[in-house]
Amino acid sequence: MLKITSEEIKLITKYIYDISGIYLDESKKYLLETRLNTIAEEQGCASYHEFYAKAKADASKVIERKIIDAISTNETLFFRDASPFQLLQHKIFPELIDARTPKTPALKTTLKIWSAASSTGQELYSVAIVLQELLGDLSKYTIKLLGTDISDAAIAQASSGKFNKFEMERGLARDKLTRYFTPAGQTWKISDQIRAMVNFRKFNLMQPFTGLGKFDVVLCRNVAIYFTLEDRKKLFNKIADILEPDGYLLIGSTESLTGICPRFIPKRHLRSIFYQLH
Amino acid sequence: MNTMTILVADDDPVIRKLFEQRLKNAGYEVTTAANGTEAARLLDTTVFDVVITDLVMPGAIGGIELLKIAKEKRVDIEVIVITAHSSIDTAVDAMKKGAVDYLEKPVNFDELFLRLDKIAEVRAMLKNAGDLREAMNVTEHSAAQTIQDLEIINCRQRMLLDRLEGVLSDARSNVDRRIDRALHLLATR
Repeated sequence: MLKITSEEIKLITKYIYDISGIYLDESKKYLLETRLNTIAEEQGCASYHEFYAKAKADASKVIERKIIDAISTNETLFFRDASPFQLLQHKIFPELIDARTPKTPALKTTLKIWSAASSTGQELYSVAIVLQELLGDLSKYTIKLLGTDISDAAIAQASSGKFNKFEMERGLARDKLTRYFTPAGQTWKISDQIRAMVNFRKFNLMQPFTGLGKFDVVLCRNVAIYFTLEDRKKLFNKIADILEPDGYLLIGSTESLTGICPRFIPKRHLRSIFYQLH
Repeated sequence: MNTMTILVADDDPVIRKLFEQRLKNAGYEVTTAANGTEAARLLDTTVFDVVITDLVMPGAIGGIELLKIAKEKRVDIEVIVITAHSSIDTAVDAMKKGAVDYLEKPVNFDELFLRLDKIAEVRAMLKNAGDLREAMNVTEHSAAQTIQDLEIINCRQRMLLDRLEGVLSDARSNVDRRIDRALHLLATR
């Protein structure tokens, strides 16, 4: 395996930060080596210095995309940490539907949900399943479920709707598995009905949020932990800007907004926390 | 030591016996069924890790149907189908429907044992991953509760400070009155 020098670590971590906003410090030597080795060797590089130069010079940005795919962590479980989904099902969605149902029965109720770091899609599909189970007939609703991620590979996998057989069979309750997925060889494929509810596209959270529109619910779980404090502040400020005034923000269960964004107030429901604007 | 339990379904008594002996000699726990219906009944009452089934069996439940029944019973059960060379297409179809592998007749037992070793290996890795996930969940859950408590406490303190600041800098009342009101706020928080 290609060894990385401490000087190269500085070079590469700075480069990764510039292209993705993911901040890795010098203690992440092992992670860098294990995740980047294959790409560096594939590119025929004899050192990480050479690899860095090659990636920077690559106008097609193919190497850059491969590095992002390799560095960004991909969550692989459906309904991982059940509490946010219970919170959505029992508290947030019922409240939102009350608030959003138009006075005129002919009009549809609109719900807009954004999974800001959707990875390979499990979180957003889980939200879609919760909505399907809660609402039953979706014809009275306009539901916009958007998933974004910085990794092309993650977006491609999320869009395919196919998931690893072993992970699925152990991560998901049987009734949900058989109701919403069909076996396809060594994978399980999400049902067309659920697939049709969601959209995925590539997006870097470091960029401005213009053109995204407003959202009723934003899920931004376990991604800000890879950002610097300054970038976290910017990120949650931008989220505050695109959240409806009575909207909801969900972050990872071990994350905190203390000292990051005073515009959000934490609120507790049972054993979960969600955030709303001041 | 092979600890997996295996159900063999084949209508040919000679093949059944052969499977039973070879697998038992290799240390597996083996149950046999003479047809799909009997195998399905056994799946109702007993937990198996692996089902080895002939694709073509007389009666209402053939190999493909048995595969479906087994997967419905327990999603992590592994099914190996046995097929004649002429019906490879059906075997491939079985794999699309969730079979882990297929073997051609006449069965090469060395090959079968290799596949079973692989299945055992994957199951052990999955169990290990499951155990680690469980440990992570427990730790994460407890960390989450602490963080949530701190988050709520911190928010209350912040709001209290904001109110104190408002009271203490309220130019409409005199200094004594401001301090009184600030102390009152602190006492009733």
